[in-house]
Amino acid sequence: MMGSVWNWIAAPRYGWQFAVFLCGALSLGCLALIMLTSTPPRYRKTIVAAVTFLAGLYYAFEFLIPPAFWPLEPPRNPLSEVQPLVATLTQIIWSFALLLGVWNLFVIHGRAVVKRGRGWCNSAAFFISFLAILGAGLLKDYTQGSTIRKASESVFTILFSGFLTSLDATMFSLIAFYIVSAAYRAFRVKSLEAGLMMAAAAIIMLALVPVGAEITNWLPQSGILSALRVERVGYWLLTSPNMAAQRAIAFGIAVGSLAMGLRIWLSLERGNFFDRQL
Amino acid sequence: MNVFEKLQTIDRRILYLLIAVVIAVPLLQRPSRHPRIVFSEVQNAYQTLRKVPKDKIVIVSCVWGPGTRAENEPQTRAIVRHLLREGTRFVILSWDQLGSQLTYEDASEISKELGKRYGTDWVHLGYNPGPMYAIIRGLGKSFQGVFKVDRFGKKLKYIPATRDVRDYRDIGAVVEITPSGTVSSWIAYFNQPFNIPLVFCPTAVMSAEAYPYLDSGQLDGMLNGVIGAAQYETLIGMENERTYAAAASWALSCAHIFILLLIVLGNLGYALSKRSPQRRGGKSIV
Repeated sequence: MMGSVWNWIAAPRYGWQFAVFLCGALSLGCLALIMLTSTPPRYRKTIVAAVTFLAGLYYAFEFLIPPAFWPLEPPRNPLSEVQPLVATLTQIIWSFALLLGVWNLFVIHGRAVVKRGRGWCNSAAFFISFLAILGAGLLKDYTQGSTIRKASESVFTILFSGFLTSLDATMFSLIAFYIVSAAYRAFRVKSLEAGLMMAAAAIIMLALVPVGAEITNWLPQSGILSALRVERVGYWLLTSPNMAAQRAIAFGIAVGSLAMGLRIWLSLERGNFFDRQL
Repeated sequence: MNVFEKLQTIDRRILYLLIAVVIAVPLLQRPSRHPRIVFSEVQNAYQTLRKVPKDKIVIVSCVWGPGTRAENEPQTRAIVRHLLREGTRFVILSWDQLGSQLTYEDASEISKELGKRYGTDWVHLGYNPGPMYAIIRGLGKSFQGVFKVDRFGKKLKYIPATRDVRDYRDIGAVVEITPSGTVSSWIAYFNQPFNIPLVFCPTAVMSAEAYPYLDSGQLDGMLNGVIGAAQYETLIGMENERTYAAAASWALSCAHIFILLLIVLGNLGYALSKRSPQRRGGKSIV
C-alpha cells in the first residue's frame, strides 16, 4: 500500500502535471520552512535534533543489523528494501539546498545592487549572466520555432562553452603557475629530510611522465639492473612508502570521521546549527 | 646581487611566461606518439572493462567539471570509446552541472563517429545533485527506482539500453572519473557489498591515495590522470593518433622537467651562495 502510494507520487510527470507537482512540492516545502521558523527556538532545536537523529538512525540500523536478526523468510533487512525511496528523498532535500544557494545569492547581490555600494557592478553582472544563461537554456530546450531555437542554441553555446567552461578551466589552470613559482622559491634542501623529499618528488615526477621512461631506457627491461629504471623506482615509491603513509592517514581520517559523524548525528556538534539563534 | 642570488630570485613573471611556453608548444604541435610504457593499473582497468559480460551495463560516474577537464575528459573519452567499440552498454551519471553537458557532448561525438546509437548503446542520466552515498546505496537495490528518467526526461524502462537493468545483478562494472575523493563511497556502498569491479580515474594529484585500494583489490584498475588516459589509448589501438591525451602527456613531461630544472637552479644558487666569501662575511640572503 505504502509502496504503491509512493510510486504514484514519485512517478515521472510531464507538462501541466509536472508544473502542478512542482508548485505543490515548493508550496509544501515553504510551508514546512515557515512552520519551522515560526516555532519558538527551544522547540526548534529539539525538532532539528530529532529529525537529524531519526535520519541517521535509518542508516545505522540498515547498515549494522544483520538480515538474520529479522523474523523474515528469506532472511533480509526490511530497511534495505526502502533504500531507493531514501535515495530519492535525499536527492529532493539536496535539490532544495541548491535552491537555497540560489536564493542566498539573489538576496546578497540584490542588496548590493539596491544599495549601490562599492562593487555593485559585480553583483549586477551576476544577475545579467544568471538570467542570460537561464533564458538561453530554457528557450533552447522548450521552444518549437526553428529560428528562436537556433538563436538560443547559439547564445547558449557561446555562454556555456565560450564563457562558463573556459572561465572555470582558467581558474583551475592558474594553479600550474603558482606551483612553478612556489616550487622554485620554497623548495630548498636545508636538511636530510628535505633532501629525501626532493629526491622522492623528482623520481615520482619523472616516473609518471613518458620522458621518465626514456631517460633510463638504456637499462634492461628485466634482471637486477631493471630495478633502477625510473618508472620502476617510482612505482616502488608509490606502492611501498607512499601506500604505508596513505593507509595510516586513511585510518586516522576514518576514526576522526566516525567521531565527527557520531557528534553530528547526536547533535553534540554545536557548531553545526546550534551556536546561533535559529 | 651576485649570480648565485640571481639564480634564486628569477622574476616570477618570467617563470609564468616560460611555463606557459613549455606547456603550449607540445599541445599546439600535437604529437601522435603515445607513452611506450603502460602501467599495470591501466592494463588492469582495460582488462576489467573488456571482460564485462555483454548482457550487463557499465556505470560511468563522472564527478568532474570544466576545472579538471584537461585530465578527466581524456579519461572519459578513452573509456567511452573502448566501451562503444566492445559493444558494452553503459550509462553516464554526472554529479557536476557543467560536467553533465560536457560528458554528453563527448559521448555523443564518439558515438556518432563509431556509428552507435543513443538509447541502444548508451544512455546519459543527466545531472544528479547527490548525495552520492545515498544514491549509490539505493541503486544497488533498484536501479530504476533511483534513476527513473534519462537526461531528456524519457523513462528508463522504455529505453532499450536500460529497460532490463533492475539492480546490482545487471551492472558489470563501475568507472569513477573524478577529481576528488569520491571513490570511497562506491567502494563502501556498492562495489564491496555487491562484489562489482570498480575502475578509478582520478586526477594525477589524487592518484597517490588510491594505491592502498589497488593493493587490497577494492579497485580493479586505475587511469592515473591524463597520462593514464594516453596509456589507455595505446591499449585500445590509438597509439598513432594525434590525440589531446598524447599531446598532454608530452606537455606534462616538459613541464615536469622544467620544474625540476628550476628547483635544481634555485638550490644550486642557495648552496653556492652559502659557500661564497660574501655570505661568509655575514650578509644574509634568505
